[in-house]
Amino acid sequence: MSEMKEMIVNVVEKIFKDKVDKEKVDVVEEGKWAEDVWQVLQDNEMLAVAVSEENGGAGGDLDDLLNLYRLIGKYAVPIPFVETTFANVLLEKTGLNVTQEKATYAVEEQLNVSIDNGTVSGTIVNVPWARYVDELVVVAAGTSGLELVQVSLKDAAISPNMNLACEPRDTVTLVHAPVQQQTKITNEQLEYFIALESAAKSAAMSGAIDKAYELTVRYTKEREQFGRPIHRFQLVQQHLANLAGEAVITSSAIDNMIASIAQKCLQNEVAYTRIRIEEAAKIVAASAHQVHAAIGVTHEHSLHQYTRRLWSWREEGAGEAYWTKQLANRLMEVEDDSLWGYLTRTEKVFQL
Amino acid sequence: MFSLPTVQFTDEQEQFRLEVRAFLQEHLAKGTFKTKCDSWLSGSDPAFSKLIGEQGWIGLTWPKKYGGQERSTIDRYILTEEFLAVGAPVAAHWFADRQTGPLLMRFGTEEQREFFLPKIVKGECYFGIGLSEPNSGSDLASVKTRAEKVDGGWIINGSKTWTSNAHDAHYAVTLIRTEPLGEKKHDGLSQLIIDLHAEGVTIVPIKYLTGEHHFNEVFFDNVFVPDNMVVGTLGNGWKQGLAELAFERSGPERILSTFPLLDELIAGLKRQGDAAGMKEASKVLSRLWGLRNLSIGVAKVLEEGGEVAIPAALVKSIGTKFEQSIPEITRLLVRTYPRLEAERRIDRFMAESTLHAPGFTIRGGTSEVLYGMVAKGVVGQ
Repeated sequence: MSEMKEMIVNVVEKIFKDKVDKEKVDVVEEGKWAEDVWQVLQDNEMLAVAVSEENGGAGGDLDDLLNLYRLIGKYAVPIPFVETTFANVLLEKTGLNVTQEKATYAVEEQLNVSIDNGTVSGTIVNVPWARYVDELVVVAAGTSGLELVQVSLKDAAISPNMNLACEPRDTVTLVHAPVQQQTKITNEQLEYFIALESAAKSAAMSGAIDKAYELTVRYTKEREQFGRPIHRFQLVQQHLANLAGEAVITSSAIDNMIASIAQKCLQNEVAYTRIRIEEAAKIVAASAHQVHAAIGVTHEHSLHQYTRRLWSWREEGAGEAYWTKQLANRLMEVEDDSLWGYLTRTEKVFQL
Repeated sequence: MFSLPTVQFTDEQEQFRLEVRAFLQEHLAKGTFKTKCDSWLSGSDPAFSKLIGEQGWIGLTWPKKYGGQERSTIDRYILTEEFLAVGAPVAAHWFADRQTGPLLMRFGTEEQREFFLPKIVKGECYFGIGLSEPNSGSDLASVKTRAEKVDGGWIINGSKTWTSNAHDAHYAVTLIRTEPLGEKKHDGLSQLIIDLHAEGVTIVPIKYLTGEHHFNEVFFDNVFVPDNMVVGTLGNGWKQGLAELAFERSGPERILSTFPLLDELIAGLKRQGDAAGMKEASKVLSRLWGLRNLSIGVAKVLEEGGEVAIPAALVKSIGTKFEQSIPEITRLLVRTYPRLEAERRIDRFMAESTLHAPGFTIRGGTSEVLYGMVAKGVVGQ
């Protein structure tokens, strides 16, 4: 990371440390809106990271944004930061106008809405934060192919729902909602957006993995049993070693994935990262809870704010099932039985 | 948390990879060697090592004045990956290249460097590593082999065990007690280079469970070692030895020992058009990718002289488990008849992988020792 990038990450981390604690996340889970967290990010222009300066943004890159998403996981930040910033990535990358409003998105293989005469209709489930935000960016079936469209959620019927972490995941029903703006996109663009979205979730999950690991290390130092801190027990040490391994592999996977995205030479990095992180999430959540024992499964303890996010986020966007299918298709095309050549191939695949 | 750098290979490095690959493919086709799983430990072939030496591919990173190429650690990483991916028999020169050279570069005398390094580089001089003893496996520092000071050198008595390829090696860097056991068992240990053909050295094979001969017990009965064969500082052997371990634990050989089997598995699934099987196998690639990033990151930090003992231990403990998982995954996806002498490659690789797998998580520090090390490290951070 460049110094500039490091600075952005440090500033935002400090904001989250100050503003987002266990109680704040609890309150949001009960259905409140964390205006102070939103406001401070807006004041610091962090909502416009990765939007170019000519479009009124702060002029960062996608890699800055992905590094910030790690912090969303690490602090269980209860606002639609990923959603608003990613919606603007979609808008800007397709040449549409970015929005200054709070926004969310729905980017999936399966198309749930269609365009008819300048209006959008259909029902989309699991839309993050819909009830709290103003705009929705969604991929719709047009009369001649795919369209990326923006609609106002004032024109939608929203039925509140939530994921395992009590984050808003609403059902949005559109009946002839007027299109704010729209543009044609190709199948390849949709695939790329699905990959980026999956990368965003992986980044957020890696932050939650880091935090669950950190909490566990800290707990083994504080908690005493049989007259000594529990990190002195070899079976607990094995948990710590496994957790450290998953945390370090996850973090290095994200670094490498972000580097590939930044250099615009993505091959299978998003797929490998997401599959590996889902595996890490399973191992880390189980092991962190086992080490924390009973206290870790109480609502009072903060561990569940991270493990419930891991269990929720792994089900969202393109996950292991999607990526193993993609990889299997690609591996079927590997020439001359040379897996090693494939894994180390040198030609760069540029994406958009 | 440990932050490791990401590494993007340069065009020259990609080119080097292809050059090495083409050379190995040519010799594979000629029958110079046969692909084997776990070839870095069980594929000892002095003729092949000499061939590799002629290419300038031993001691790749060492100074030119000792016959090296002064290439980067990442170049060496690429070279090693290519050897392992094709299962080439690199065991004979392996320890000299991986450990002894770097050790002498760091702690050796000029005389030692000038004497040993050019021979190692040619693929003509092999080293064993004398650490474990019959009653000290994981408790490495409980060394009993002792050296008694005499005029001009030392007289060694004792024995070392599990010494890989000692029967092909010319010398062994051996951890020896040069001072009587004091309060701390880590003190008073020194590294001495012992000529394995010297009078009083007896090498007895310990057959592996397959009957193959890889490791040995090495006995020292009043063996004379001259003063100029002491490496580094007397009494500093433990610390010097520890410095080697990060190199020993973090390389691609902790990930790729069973790669030839994985290659056959993917090829088999492709031939059968088995999409469901391929989906399963693709998860393995994501694990491989994760480990490879970590291992390359550690290599980069090592090159810059950074501290990576814990990530290196993690590469070994997780990487060797990964290597062990390949035969277990393979057997669920394709039918195999594992035989060490099989004609069909997948059957032979399956046999080699299955039978060698138990050793992966033992050699070079058992997983249990590594877990303890990692846990103590992260608690202390």
